[in-house]
Amino acid sequence: MERFNYSKDRETINAARARALESLLIEKGVITSDTVDKIMTIFETEMGPFNGAKLVARAWVDPEFKKLLGEDTMAAVEKMNFVTKGAGAEGEHMRAAINTPQVHNLIICTLCSCYPWPVLGLPPYWYKDPSFRARAAREPRKVLGEFGLNVHPDKEIKTWDSSAQIRWFVVPERPDGTDGFSEEQLAALVTPEAMMGVAIVKPPGQ
Amino acid sequence: MPPKDNGSLCFGAPWERQAFGMALALAKQGVFEWDDFRSEMIATIGSWEAAHDLADPNWSYYDIWLTVLERMVASSGLRDNSVDG
Repeated sequence: MERFNYSKDRETINAARARALESLLIEKGVITSDTVDKIMTIFETEMGPFNGAKLVARAWVDPEFKKLLGEDTMAAVEKMNFVTKGAGAEGEHMRAAINTPQVHNLIICTLCSCYPWPVLGLPPYWYKDPSFRARAAREPRKVLGEFGLNVHPDKEIKTWDSSAQIRWFVVPERPDGTDGFSEEQLAALVTPEAMMGVAIVKPPGQ
Repeated sequence: MPPKDNGSLCFGAPWERQAFGMALALAKQGVFEWDDFRSEMIATIGSWEAAHDLADPNWSYYDIWLTVLERMVASSGLRDNSVDG
């Protein structure tokens, strides 16, 4: 009960701290009252998992593009003409880890929460959780099982630890039952979880 | 293990969104360097984890974010520059 009260107070206090800071910044002329909204609009419209899904779909239909995405991720991203400017530096140095029948990839950030914003948007809260970050590095197969993803024992699991230098995302395997699908149809199947490696892309209708 | 949720749910409260947006805005304005902000996040999260059980329910990523943001603003000298302003 005590702990609950503590959390409740903290929420109120933090809301007041954030308000006070915003007021100061507005008063100093550094930001205006709609700065935060403008920035968040960029995340809703220009940077998000919808970009990652397009990259994955292109890689599924174009072997040359898939090769480039694996070898020089930024050059491949450049070809897509995403609008990624103006929202911090988290989009530089992204790298794709490509799933194969032999290898399943999982992205984590053991230090904090580095994440490829332009292609995945903002990470879900569990990605930032201390026990997830520690355990995913130590026992990825078990953690994936808890996510409902039982990777075949013969398949290797590689974990990629994002950092200020490299921010990883996963290119999942193309599911069965998608022959003849357009890039757009394929992109609609790709989830953020699949591009983090905590899920796979399921065949359509499943 | 925290419950799985879709990537779109990122902020638990409006102040978290506010703190996140302000940090990006200030980095963009050059009040501080984004790399410095991130380094401070890494150091502060590291200290928290050294002092707590990793499953401690009092963990709050954006609590740390807000603390780091306040610290970065304080050390930028922004608060004291009213003479020039």
